Amino acid sequence: MDTLKINYKSIYYPPGGILMWIIIFLELITFGMAIVVFAFYASEQPELFHHSRMQLNSTFGAINTVFLLTSGFFMANAVHEFKENNLKKSSLYFKLTMLGGMFFLILKSVEYYHKIEAGITPETNVFFTFYWLLTAFHLVHVIMGLVILIWTNYGMMKKKSDTGVEDIEACAAFWHMCDLIWLLLFPVLYLIF
Amino acid sequence: MKNTLLFTYGFLILLTISTALISNLVTVSGLAVGLIMGLSMLKFFLVSFQFMELKKANSFWKGSLIFVLGVIVLVFISLK
Repeated sequence: MDTLKINYKSIYYPPGGILMWIIIFLELITFGMAIVVFAFYASEQPELFHHSRMQLNSTFGAINTVFLLTSGFFMANAVHEFKENNLKKSSLYFKLTMLGGMFFLILKSVEYYHKIEAGITPETNVFFTFYWLLTAFHLVHVIMGLVILIWTNYGMMKKKSDTGVEDIEACAAFWHMCDLIWLLLFPVLYLIF
Repeated sequence: MKNTLLFTYGFLILLTISTALISNLVTVSGLAVGLIMGLSMLKFFLVSFQFMELKKANSFWKGSLIFVLGVIVLVFISLK
């Protein structure tokens, strides 16, 4: 296993890699701009946004936040165990991370099912256009993250594995990015208006 | 290291519960919006600095993240 010491203090080597952090910033700016436009529309139609927001289940949102934070905690542990050369423990934490992600997907699917059953679609009004677009775009990231986790865990546990610390950190950074985006979306969509 | 992660996780869960309680118990006024967004920012920084280990990174990355999130939240609150 590659145990090259990484100089994190160098501007070129943030934990997870410079390319991953460029992606994280681009994603945050993209979601951030959407949130700002969402707030602009909300200031023009406050009653519509309040009425629509009340149709969302904030308990589902809060539980999903807990699922993502828990999986993020397991991810951080997986990286720590990998650095300590405890591959089996690291792999166990990878699986627990994936479990958290799966729970998030299941609860989100239940929430979407309820919305569709109630006839709430992206065409219902501008609030729900944003709700569907932002949450679905985030969901795509979670699914992508799960694929990366499965792939990295598989590669890590292979005999003669060439998976290094940078690969594990990049994978972890992507997964945590899903947490970060959700931490912005949850209060904006479910709690404030 | 593991204790730090566990403490951070516990604190994050506590902050999530607090945020949900504030939104349910308090009428969503300007103060409540500031409080909810402030707690969410704190959670955001705990995840990035502790779980993603950004605390070890060059100040450029720390400063950039604080700046980007600060601008997003400030513009959001001013529009709200």
